Amino acid sequence: MAFIREALKQLFRRPATLKYPYEKMTLPKDFRGRPIWDMGKCIGCGLCYNVCPSGAIEMIGRGLEAGINHYVDRCMFCGQCVEVCPENAIRMSEEYELADFDRSKMLHEYRRIVK
Amino acid sequence: MGLDYAAVEKEVHKRMTTETIASLLSILVFPGAIFLLALAFFYEWVDRKFFARLQNRYGPLHTGPHGILQPIADFLKLLSKEDISPHASDRLVLTLAPIFYVALPLSTLFVIPILSYASLIRFEGDLIFVLFMFTLVTITVFLAGWSSTSRFSTIGSVRATLQMLGYEIPMGLVAVGPAIAAGSLSISRIVEWQSLRFWLVLLQPLGFAILTVCLLAELQFVPFDIPEAETEIVAGWRTEFTGRKLALLRLGKDLELVLASALMASLYLGGSQHFWLIPPIAIFLMKTTFVVMLLSLLRSAFARFRIDQMLSGMWKYLLPLATLQIILIQLGFGG
Amino acid sequence: MSHGSIIKVPFGPQHPALKEPENFLLEVDGETVVDVKPRLGYNHRGMEKAFELKTYIQNIYLAERICGICSDAHTTCYTQAIEELLGVEPPPRARYIRVIIAELERIQSHTLWVGLAAHEIGFSTLFMYVWRDRETVLDMFEMISGNRIHYAMNTIGGVRRDIRGDIVSKIVKGLDFLEQRLEYYLDTVQTEQTILKRAAGVGILRPKDAVSLCAVGPTLRASGIRNDVRSDDPYVAYDEIPFNVVAHDGCDVLSRMLVRCEETLESIKIIRYALDSMPDGIIVVKVPKKIPRGEVVSRVEAPRGELIHYAKSNGTAKPERYKVRSPTLANIPALCKMLRGGYVADIPIVLAGIDPCFSCMDRMAFVDIRKNEKWVWTMQQLRRKYTKG
Repeated sequence: MAFIREALKQLFRRPATLKYPYEKMTLPKDFRGRPIWDMGKCIGCGLCYNVCPSGAIEMIGRGLEAGINHYVDRCMFCGQCVEVCPENAIRMSEEYELADFDRSKMLHEYRRIVK
Repeated sequence: MGLDYAAVEKEVHKRMTTETIASLLSILVFPGAIFLLALAFFYEWVDRKFFARLQNRYGPLHTGPHGILQPIADFLKLLSKEDISPHASDRLVLTLAPIFYVALPLSTLFVIPILSYASLIRFEGDLIFVLFMFTLVTITVFLAGWSSTSRFSTIGSVRATLQMLGYEIPMGLVAVGPAIAAGSLSISRIVEWQSLRFWLVLLQPLGFAILTVCLLAELQFVPFDIPEAETEIVAGWRTEFTGRKLALLRLGKDLELVLASALMASLYLGGSQHFWLIPPIAIFLMKTTFVVMLLSLLRSAFARFRIDQMLSGMWKYLLPLATLQIILIQLGFGG
Repeated sequence: MSHGSIIKVPFGPQHPALKEPENFLLEVDGETVVDVKPRLGYNHRGMEKAFELKTYIQNIYLAERICGICSDAHTTCYTQAIEELLGVEPPPRARYIRVIIAELERIQSHTLWVGLAAHEIGFSTLFMYVWRDRETVLDMFEMISGNRIHYAMNTIGGVRRDIRGDIVSKIVKGLDFLEQRLEYYLDTVQTEQTILKRAAGVGILRPKDAVSLCAVGPTLRASGIRNDVRSDDPYVAYDEIPFNVVAHDGCDVLSRMLVRCEETLESIKIIRYALDSMPDGIIVVKVPKKIPRGEVVSRVEAPRGELIHYAKSNGTAKPERYKVRSPTLANIPALCKMLRGGYVADIPIVLAGIDPCFSCMDRMAFVDIRKNEKWVWTMQQLRRKYTKG
């Protein structure tokens, strides 16, 4: 009978469900969302490419002209690339709604603008 | 001076046609079939919403205001799904079982007074008729599971019949309690008797409690949803039903819920009666909604019993209590 | 006994009671289970081979993904093993942080289990309440590590993130809330009549059977045997933190429920102690990429029981051989013993009682037998034991 009382108490509380997508969670600081490269800082060393466990990072060339391809459908958001980058050029953003019907949207390309 | 036979005949003919049309309308539309089907969907929504709120979640939310159209949406969706039957199943019985499962509660509902204290169909003994229809529903459940010939359906249908052995007798005993008090086996008379005196729940509270438990078992609600235990035997007797057949099964279950609540409201809570200027049908709907919410509350607060525990509990506790209630009535303590 | 009345009921691989695919062929006589034949390997993913193809740092994340619920136990075991091969000790602060994360994971796993067990016996309301309160733990993890599951806190040589500042006060607040709720659930489990009817006296495993069949974890401790890797063979900071090993004598599913609920309350105490007495300092030491030659066995107390990892390195940047023995595998023979003689209706709750994690377990399809170890079961051995007679 004590349980029935507990059940009836719930009627007066706000339901615990979040009405997604109309209501969204506030994300904590240091949330591991999609990693974003800052090509201004990147030196093209290839450490992120070497360390990625799932092979989600592709280097286009090496050195200061290198470009990065990041495949979000392979990424496991572990943050190892962020940790290993010597120039702190990568940061984990707050984006997590990354699903799409279009495969090509899964590829994020980072290139330098050469003046 | 003789009678104008032709004019009399014409008058009788005219009266009969209007009366026939009136009764056809009341049987088919209001408070007949279409109204009852709408009520079935409405009570499914009430049940789901209340059950969800007890569990601290929302329940149906987006289809229609507060999700009220969700049961209709589910029904329509199921109608559009593919209808697969197992190769070894008995096709005829498999197709007829859902139809019976809908038709039986629907036709039994005509006997419950809704608009006033006279139901659409009434006769002495219609209470026994209702109890008999409940048994037929369980037999339909058994046939539905047995004809599916899948392992899980067989276990489920056998459990349904075993369960019936548990709750049949106590249910019959306490359903007859109000009849003894009112001196008639017709539900309409019982409702009339209550409107002149008191609600029978005040005179026979034990009977009310026992009838609630037995109806939980009849409707296969937790803690007695043993025949369709989801985590043990997939879906029990319902496993092999898909598409239109499953839509009819769900509709049948909702109609059974309406029947059970309406029966309880009429037998113990005074049913459809006048109160000030409020039309009796509104009173009836309020009482039935209260019973549906009570059943949802009980459904949310318990775990499922095992079939042997259910049977031994029914025979060891419920049957003696039901007999006690009858004895109390005979001794004059129940009106 | 008339064999004509025995029905063979397949339980799985797809079944609502199973969260992961596994097949048990049950021979059923009416409502009694006569025999059980397990058939394992549906979740075999080739993890052990995949370990050999990646570097040691990449393997941390592979180890994490052996299981979603006990992911931290796997990374702790892995990083411990590799640190042992390197001869490196993680700094004291890192060891305390590892304890905190491991115990938070234990809370998360046990509350998940209580909800699941309630669902198996048809008590969906309790399931909803427990999982609602479990969200507190998951939110704490998101705050600490950036993710709700697969926290990736461990790395070789220490941990990757620190627990400082207002995170500590938020954890303490969350723990107070959890303690109050868990005490309510512990009380509910012991007093609700319908739960007691379904769980008491069901799935009996006598102590001597538990020992001879090599059960581990709460399954073993619910039969009265106080075995716990955290106290028998302390790792990370468990030798510096006082705690009780929870055991009950009931040998049934109810005892397993009680053991898990009480272990959760113990975990809350451990985390509080660890947060209070956490030493200051660095959280990670640098380690070389190439691991020297050697073999190592490392074990931790995962929420489900004793987890064993074996690593063999040949001096290169990738492991030569890696082997995982997860606790669910050790509990399967005990499970078969528990199911025999019981009712069909009790199968889901008994199965849930060992807290099965078949993703962790299905590593045994093709395996080398280590002849000294009594508790390693190969597929052939399991089949031979259960398909004869």
